Amino acid sequence: MLLTSVIIILREVLEAALLLSILLAMSHLLHLRLRWFYIALAAGAAGSVAYGMQLAAISDAFDGVGQELLNAALQIAIYLLLLVIAPLLVVNYYTGERYRGILSAAMTVAVATAVLREGSEVFIYLSAFRYSPQPWSGVLTGALLGAGIGFSVGALFYYLLVGMPRRRALLVTCVLLTLAAGGMVLQATQLLIQADWLPAQVPLWNSSVLVAEGSLTGQMMYALVGYEATPTSFQVIIYSASVATMALLLLLTRYHQKKIRTVRDVSQAR
Amino acid sequence: MTDYRCRGVVRLLAVAALALLPPVAQAGRPVFEIEIRGHLFHPSELVVPANTKVKLIVYNRDPTPEEFESYELNREKIIMGGQRAIVFIGPLTQGEYPFFGEFNPKTAQGKIIAQ
Repeated sequence: MLLTSVIIILREVLEAALLLSILLAMSHLLHLRLRWFYIALAAGAAGSVAYGMQLAAISDAFDGVGQELLNAALQIAIYLLLLVIAPLLVVNYYTGERYRGILSAAMTVAVATAVLREGSEVFIYLSAFRYSPQPWSGVLTGALLGAGIGFSVGALFYYLLVGMPRRRALLVTCVLLTLAAGGMVLQATQLLIQADWLPAQVPLWNSSVLVAEGSLTGQMMYALVGYEATPTSFQVIIYSASVATMALLLLLTRYHQKKIRTVRDVSQAR
Repeated sequence: MTDYRCRGVVRLLAVAALALLPPVAQAGRPVFEIEIRGHLFHPSELVVPANTKVKLIVYNRDPTPEEFESYELNREKIIMGGQRAIVFIGPLTQGEYPFFGEFNPKTAQGKIIAQ
């Protein structure tokens, strides 16, 4: 019981914690007040409980694939929010404090959504022990251990990012957000294939010999970039397109912001 | 996220998905059933036709929730106590595909055999 609950909680916490630590590091880089983060956590936790309690009804919707559709919608929502968040990071980095309200709001919703998605699974898993005659202690100890390890990895990740020189921190954060965004879309396509809303295909390759999805490396890569050992050609195309969209958007923003800054610097020099 | 916006996204996805679906996708799929009882899968081995998409219905007869999960099949779905879940799998090439119940992995183990 103990080990099972360590693994389950660790997996879920890790998936959310990595995105959380990237956005927190970003918030630090831009000297944003942390209020948005606490609101996001509270909203995500409340959402987890509500989602968990309604899951039976959600699952039955849309001919029994409501769970897949809602989860896919949540993943796509996070992707769209990241498309707003990452370019605004670049804007704030180059030309000072702008659109900070929109940025905070987008980060709040993104983190709340990520917490809701993973937190609801934790809630459902733990709520099962209401029926259990066994003492809670093993399960709870395991859950605390799992959460502890997961958040520690997130904290480590956060301090790695925050400890970098500003310029490199910006680059690394943008690359991580781009890959994480691609991973969100990839997971959404996976769910839509499972729901039979997207066509299933024979996998394009099988890299599980190199990195098995169930392994520790596989789980980390899944949490970070949405690693998939056996993607279909459709998924590879969608992943590439999502990553390319984000990368292009970031490069355009950077080009534009640098130009604004140069013009401003020149006019100030005169 | 509000319910209204959620439905909007779902509807948008529906349109996008329908545009992409081949016409055959709407045809009936072979249906297979598995039960979860006492944190065990019955049957624990299920033979399905290879290279065919099938509809798997998993009945959870336990009062506790379970998560049907398989890395090999790329499937993951929570099934609340007393509920049934529909999971589409395949088309699979010939071989064995293990699956397990994530909430009770010590006992809830099984495999799909595609042939």
